[in-house]
Amino acid sequence: MIATLQNGRHGPLALGALLLVAWPLVFSTPYDLRVFTLAGIYALLVLGYQFVFGHAGALALTQGAFFGLGAYVTGILGARYGQGFLVTFPLSIALPVLLAAVVAAPVLRLETHYFALATLGIAQVLLLVCLLAEPLTGGANGIPGVPGVEILGLSLPRGWPLLLFVWAWVIAGAFVAQRITGGLYGKAFQLMRASATAAQCVGIDIARLRLRTFLFSAAYAGAAGALFVHTLRVVSPEALEFHVMVAVLAMTVVGGRTRIAGAIVGAVLLVHLPEWFRFLESYYLIAYGVALLAMIVLAPDGLVGELERRWPQAPETLPTAEPLPPRSKLIPREPLLAVSDLRKRFGGVRAVDGVSLALKRGEIVGLIGPNGSGKTTLINVITGLLQAENGAVRFAGEPLGGLRPDTIARRGLARTFQNLDLVDELTAIDNVAVARAAFEGAGLRQALLAVGRDPTLERARRQARFLLERIGLGEEMGRPCGDLPHGTRRRVEIARALALQPSLLLLDEPAAGLSESEQADLARRVEILRDDGITMLIVEHNMPFLMPLADRLICLNVGRVIANGTPEEVQADPRVIEAYLGRRGEQA
Amino acid sequence: MLQVLVNSLALGSAYALLALGFVLILNAVNAVNFAQGDLVMAGGFVAVAFGMLLPVPGIVLLPLVLVVMALIGRALAAVAYFPLKSRPPVSVFISTIAVGIILQNLANALFGAEPRAAPPLFAGGLVELGGIVVSRQALAIIAVAAVMIAAQYVLFQRTALGRRLRATAQDREMAEALGIRVNHVIAATFAIAAAYAGAAGLLLANTFFVTPTDGGNYILKAYIAVVIGGWGSVPGAVVGALLIALFEVMLPSLPLIVPGLAGLPGASWLFSQTIATILLYLMLLVVLVVRPQGLFGEAVQRRA
Repeated sequence: MIATLQNGRHGPLALGALLLVAWPLVFSTPYDLRVFTLAGIYALLVLGYQFVFGHAGALALTQGAFFGLGAYVTGILGARYGQGFLVTFPLSIALPVLLAAVVAAPVLRLETHYFALATLGIAQVLLLVCLLAEPLTGGANGIPGVPGVEILGLSLPRGWPLLLFVWAWVIAGAFVAQRITGGLYGKAFQLMRASATAAQCVGIDIARLRLRTFLFSAAYAGAAGALFVHTLRVVSPEALEFHVMVAVLAMTVVGGRTRIAGAIVGAVLLVHLPEWFRFLESYYLIAYGVALLAMIVLAPDGLVGELERRWPQAPETLPTAEPLPPRSKLIPREPLLAVSDLRKRFGGVRAVDGVSLALKRGEIVGLIGPNGSGKTTLINVITGLLQAENGAVRFAGEPLGGLRPDTIARRGLARTFQNLDLVDELTAIDNVAVARAAFEGAGLRQALLAVGRDPTLERARRQARFLLERIGLGEEMGRPCGDLPHGTRRRVEIARALALQPSLLLLDEPAAGLSESEQADLARRVEILRDDGITMLIVEHNMPFLMPLADRLICLNVGRVIANGTPEEVQADPRVIEAYLGRRGEQA
Repeated sequence: MLQVLVNSLALGSAYALLALGFVLILNAVNAVNFAQGDLVMAGGFVAVAFGMLLPVPGIVLLPLVLVVMALIGRALAAVAYFPLKSRPPVSVFISTIAVGIILQNLANALFGAEPRAAPPLFAGGLVELGGIVVSRQALAIIAVAAVMIAAQYVLFQRTALGRRLRATAQDREMAEALGIRVNHVIAATFAIAAAYAGAAGLLLANTFFVTPTDGGNYILKAYIAVVIGGWGSVPGAVVGALLIALFEVMLPSLPLIVPGLAGLPGASWLFSQTIATILLYLMLLVVLVVRPQGLFGEAVQRRA
């Protein structure tokens, strides 16, 4: 919300806030107030769901279950054991978080459909267990007589007091969510959602990030569940049923998956929708389905996303450039990179079949070979994206085997991708800035404690400008990457890799798709990088680009090194010519 | 014992039709059709509606149900798949949830929340077969489902349409390049999948009745069958469906088969439908975590 304000959307946002405040003042029968209170509860639930579904991009179907669990904790402790809000509320948050933490380890590494099913299974088990454990949960009938909110002997009456209490939690929840997702840490979410691989390769620990989104979702859901029970004064298995999950999903889709305003708009709208469509009588729930379908088809970014498209934000003023702080240099140990007898197979195909090579500090080495010779696989193994079956990779003397890609990246081994892997919606500046997340200390505590705009994001942006200027970008760095031409995007990706202040840079076909003048420009900048002390391994087919640049060429064929020497030697090597056959003539 | 086996086979064959439709769409468009369970429910109600108009046995209604459901499937593709085909698969997941909500509430508005029964396939009652007494309906379900599964096999393996369907499932872009009208093929897949789900609805709606909220339960069964059988494998889905039904029917019947068990403390609690379902989900979670490629291996290579 705060960031949106600062981006100059005061008008629509202030209007929205005004409407929100005016609503319960105008529609103020006890029934209206109750519906509006429920809308607040759902807004909190959706705010939580945005972490895992919106920011992490994972279709978790557990949000309803966490909500129900929070509801039952408050219901059981409140009605059966007479506990007050100060005991029940923290426990209603803690138990769903605990459950999330327990199931996270096996479930979070599953892919899309499996993940959705596994989380759905967990939710169903919880519902059935609740139905079975009748002595504790009251079975299908639930537990009546849950007290309202009672704090230190004071009890909060229904109507306005409860409404304000619930919406105070919504505001608090929105504030925390804004702090977590609005700064540099939030940009890391965005990159992870667009490409988990790219996120890992700029040093972001995506497993930890995913886990946190899941836990946050559970915490918000538990809180919403507790408030729900205080509002209804009964808890029943309905709170655990799948339609709660469907409602949350619909609200998130309708409002917008990552926008705080979207959570509130979605919840207020869909909670009231059945009221408005009541004249349709038994058909009103159909309208609900139609609305969801229409939104997903017509406005995939939700209502708030649509509004943002109508009123695009003013382009941000570019930050001033700021050089990166010096990075403690690695102990100069030779060779910088040593690969020995590396093997990687896919099924029966030996993609990398016993490759050994070494890179000296300050060298530019070209890695050539026909398509399918194992060049990209080799890079993927070196950067930790793939695990080798055999062999070792040592970087500055340290073995890299078994390390995660983000750890390897943080040690100073950066790469670019053959098929550009940038976030289209983010500006070039932010695409580069996000790679500073691991170094600028962007984290949860940092994000929560920051005052005003996230200072780490501001600094990372200044550094990003510095890097982008070095690689030759001008004013266009403030535009979304999706709008930039191919050659510029290539350079943005190189700048992003440079943000890791790497000792070794692996470039996967950097000249592909570039015009001749762009190639010449790129070659010049690569030489400057070398003069700055960055060692480079360049995978490339384009010999005219590579020949004058490389100190040495290594040629792969069917997963093996067939030549290794000066460019002239390798180019003249009969085995290399044979490997390429007619291909070289056409390229040279 | 044999009686239990026949019953679980009957339930399993209906599940198999459902899972088959699920996996056909999955293979054709690489997306989960979450409305598949609601299509079963819809098929049940279509059968109930025709049964009210025409006092004929279910087998006569079957072609009518298949046609109506195929049209519904075609409509499903038109509203929930084609507008979203260039979006991430999760969009289709959500759009089919939306269609599920619509179907469910439409059924509720038209027929009410009370359970309804469709006419039996031939006739109700029991029949003695080699010394055991089984219900006619169970036998009829097995026979009809077996014919339909065989028909699907023949359609896919022996006809030109089947070749196009398989080519589209394997590599859509390649199929398009070869001149296959991929959109027609995908629409046909949705129609077939919905028709099969509808048939399952007709088969189940006599013995187990049909209520508007049944869909959620069925989609889980289809989903689980496809995971157990190996994501994308057609025979795997059928086997998975049979295994699920076997387990569901067997566990509550165990005390009948092994009389000693009935005397155990908590037997009526343990050998219940609910516990069977909980165990089924727990097994599913174990399969997902330990062997995500399913018990029989994954048929489709997930595209990286």
